[in-house]
Amino acid sequence: MTPAADIPLKEPAVSAGAGDAEQRERARIDASTRVPVLMFYASAMVWLLIGTLLAGFVSFKLHSPDWLSDVSFLTWGRLRPIHMNVMIYGWGSMVAMGTAIWLMARLCRTTLRHPLLIVTGIWFWNIGVLIGVIGILMGYSTGYDWLEFPPYAAVILLVAYALIMSWAVLMFRFRRGDQIYITQWYLLGAFLWFPWLYAAAQAMLFVVPVQGVMQAAVGWWYANNLLFLWFGAIGLGTAYYMIPKVIGRPVYSYHLATIGFWTYALFSSWTGMQRLVDGPFPAWMITASIAATILTIIPVATVGLNHHMTMQGYFPVMRYSPTLRFTVFGAMSYTIFSVVGILISLRSTARYLHFTEASIAYSHIGLYAFFTMTMFGSMYYIVPRLVGREWRYATLIKLHFWASAYGVGLMSLMLLVGGLAQGAAQNDPSMSFIQSVASVLPYLRGRTVAALLLTTSHFIFAFHFGLMLFGLGRTSTVPTFLNPVEAEGAEPHL
Amino acid sequence: MKGLVSLFIGVFGTFAFSWVGLTVIPNLQIGALNPQMDEEGTDIYPAPKSGMADRGRRIYAANGCIYCHSQQIRPDYASSDIDRVRDLGPSPGPKWAERRSAPRDYIFDRPVVLGQERMGPDVANIGKAAPTEEEKPAAAPATSPAPPPGSPPAPPAAAANPSPAASASPNPNGIPPAYSAAWHHRHLYAPRSMSADNRDSTMPAYRFLYEKQPISGERSADALQLTGAEAPPPGWEIVPTYEAKCLVAYLMSLDQSHPLKEVKTAAGAAPPAGSPPAPPAGSPPPAPPKK
Amino acid sequence: MNERTPDTSSLTRQGMDYGETSDVQEVHAAIQREKREPRVGLEPLSIWLIALYGLAIFTGGAYLGRYSGDFSGDGLDPMGGPPPAKKGGGAQGQQQQAELSPRDRGKKIFAANCQTCHQANGLGVPGQYPPLAGSEFTTGGSKRPAMIVLKGLQGPVTVKGQKFGSAVMQPWDKTLTDQRIADVLTYERSEWGNSASPVTAEQIAALRKELANHPDSFTEPDVLVVPDNAELPGGAPAGAAPPKPGEAAKPGGSPPPPPKPQG
Repeated sequence: MTPAADIPLKEPAVSAGAGDAEQRERARIDASTRVPVLMFYASAMVWLLIGTLLAGFVSFKLHSPDWLSDVSFLTWGRLRPIHMNVMIYGWGSMVAMGTAIWLMARLCRTTLRHPLLIVTGIWFWNIGVLIGVIGILMGYSTGYDWLEFPPYAAVILLVAYALIMSWAVLMFRFRRGDQIYITQWYLLGAFLWFPWLYAAAQAMLFVVPVQGVMQAAVGWWYANNLLFLWFGAIGLGTAYYMIPKVIGRPVYSYHLATIGFWTYALFSSWTGMQRLVDGPFPAWMITASIAATILTIIPVATVGLNHHMTMQGYFPVMRYSPTLRFTVFGAMSYTIFSVVGILISLRSTARYLHFTEASIAYSHIGLYAFFTMTMFGSMYYIVPRLVGREWRYATLIKLHFWASAYGVGLMSLMLLVGGLAQGAAQNDPSMSFIQSVASVLPYLRGRTVAALLLTTSHFIFAFHFGLMLFGLGRTSTVPTFLNPVEAEGAEPHL
Repeated sequence: MKGLVSLFIGVFGTFAFSWVGLTVIPNLQIGALNPQMDEEGTDIYPAPKSGMADRGRRIYAANGCIYCHSQQIRPDYASSDIDRVRDLGPSPGPKWAERRSAPRDYIFDRPVVLGQERMGPDVANIGKAAPTEEEKPAAAPATSPAPPPGSPPAPPAAAANPSPAASASPNPNGIPPAYSAAWHHRHLYAPRSMSADNRDSTMPAYRFLYEKQPISGERSADALQLTGAEAPPPGWEIVPTYEAKCLVAYLMSLDQSHPLKEVKTAAGAAPPAGSPPAPPAGSPPPAPPKK
Repeated sequence: MNERTPDTSSLTRQGMDYGETSDVQEVHAAIQREKREPRVGLEPLSIWLIALYGLAIFTGGAYLGRYSGDFSGDGLDPMGGPPPAKKGGGAQGQQQQAELSPRDRGKKIFAANCQTCHQANGLGVPGQYPPLAGSEFTTGGSKRPAMIVLKGLQGPVTVKGQKFGSAVMQPWDKTLTDQRIADVLTYERSEWGNSASPVTAEQIAALRKELANHPDSFTEPDVLVVPDNAELPGGAPAGAAPPKPGEAAKPGGSPPPPPKPQG
């Protein structure tokens, strides 16, 4: 990772166009990743829509419990894990793998070999998620958060993953150029962490189950690491690529990037036990996770500063570029996500926020405001390069952005404030428990409004994506700007 | 190439560090606990659950009860869990717990369902909250133990009740005594029919765990006693399926009231860790269901 | 997932080969206008950032050290050691409650639940809410006030010669534990110049059982049936009330045994 000596410290704002050879190389790479990546995206979109509809059901049923409750597979307690798992394994993991493979091929400057094997892997992955969903529907949920899929579905997922990712990792063997860019650190880490994480959790819960409460410890260790080392790592890696790429400027500092990456890997992997604060565990486990959560302020500040300084002076580009707008929103949410994480895990605040909706807010800020928004950004960049068309309607992109941004903002706010109200009531033993439920109900209704916004946003995006997929995008040499570019020559290169 | 090697080593190293630190080492510390017993080898706690209750836990997990109900009591210095009482019934019900939960409470649990949110109350001790004469789900009419001396005589109105002594409430709606098996069945079937307090409950009804069948001859012994809008049409009755019975058996088996030597009880009279495990005189009586 | 089939065909329609190929292809505009792959600058670290690192590491380390529970498998308590939570940050609320006298606890409960109507000075609101200070109901035998607090009071009532009746007092038996009711009664009976005997949770528990079948609020005649000086049975002299809320409030729901010997 020694930086090449020829990196210019300051680049002129508008770089010279890349040479012909480089363009042809990129075209070849994009052609090789086209089918797998589009398949990843298409599958992910379908799962996203399913998961979004489920989210609406789950949110609505939580404050109107008698709605559609008489059928076993429509009961709230089964739809909720299906929503979570569809979002995690159907939408999140698939869109992450799609983006990661494309980025990896671009950055390794090598074509994707054996795309058909990856396509097979995608089919397996879809089947695995489908079987897992059916398993939960039929009442075979395992009862561990984020790991509700029955173990046989997990086996299929692991096989699929091996098919997909062995080829993605192998790209490293064929890479050209001797630098390893920051994004590649994160992606390589995520590629290796996920199977270890998933296999270790499955082994310790189902193959050689650990005793008693250790199952819960393994479960939350898995869930938080999945959030940070799989989704988080791919999200950050994507932001490290998209931001400098769109604005055409080098990332601010290599040193910051190094520190940010290693402290991220070190500290965020130790979080997770704070979800069990004051539970039946040795106190040091929980304290270690809380301390690690406090220490995540180091990667947050470092990465945040690095992105901010890279963007310095280029923030107006967000007016035009969909990719940049989504990605910067995601990168900023990463900071919020971590700060909220610290605030809700300290022992003094967990007294009021543990066991409340606030932890749901935390998961949504991480998985949606940070990760999913970054992925939307990357899709706005990558899809036109794969289908050879430009996004058709700038209005739809704007609608998508604002509905998503307001939706997730409203949801997080509702759940955080509602969680506070709920926690305060729960902590006052002179109030009956039902009062704590009553105190959070208005916020849950607000959350349903947010879910409607997000549903709208996702259907808009799915429609737009469908147009692109069926070749109905614009044919033009000019990218789709969110707003008309007024100044001559100031066009961002999207 | 040097960069790539150090990247691989770092990626593996950081993750191995967390894996060992948060799962392997704790597993060495608390992953092989034994039940606690006193010096004579009796009074063993905890004990594995019965087959029905164990199956009930699977149903509990599979139907998502875990997303709203926790099964862990936080210590008194970190929460008011121990101060909290269950609010149903004419008088404040039993307390949530006498002591915090400890790893030993869960050694036979698989899956362990600690829970992470409380849209509903904690159920770690819900079985203990049952009236003491309850022994089996769908209990037959009570042969209750002698009411404690000094308590007022049960009113005549309660004669129709399955268990008059447990809670002396008149039960105007035929609602079974709180936290008895019959109560759980009715609560699962119609969560918002239990009392005025329950109107805000967000618990879904689990009617798919119950069957509606015509009464042939005698009314079934385990048929639910329902009134008002919930009641089946005349000539029909609602009976629990085997799954519902397992689930209720599981709920009735939840009881962490037995003292553990590593945990103080709420009374503060428990011995410091390491002293003999005999229950201290000042600690609250565990009051398990009678043998 | 059914979108998958068409996507292949749409690609074929564009005449683009998706396999591995080294043919020179038509380079799409998006690629032409792209910038170079991102690179990294070499700006140095700011001193403020290093200071932040130091602060974070110090805070995290201190947190870990303080709440480590000695890193033992048995150390469920983050403060470690047998005396729990003697000076813990999150432990203060509970701590105070354990140390307060029943009267002080009663004061807090009064402030939270009763003060709105009866006022902090115990004088009530003339014409609406009766006074507690010097009231014959409050300062007489302990049974009458306990009945009223447990089950509430409605209808006209005469206190200290004044008539009240427009307001209804709610029953508290569902919201307050025995211990809390006892504490608040102890407070009311010894504050504002009142000096009546304290009340214990056991007494309230016994009364609660006695009144369990009483369906609704008392009226004044109900209360007046009870002799003015009737004390709850089992009254303990002041100071003997156990300052342990957990133990005392225990017999809430189950039949209250006189503490049984363990076996």
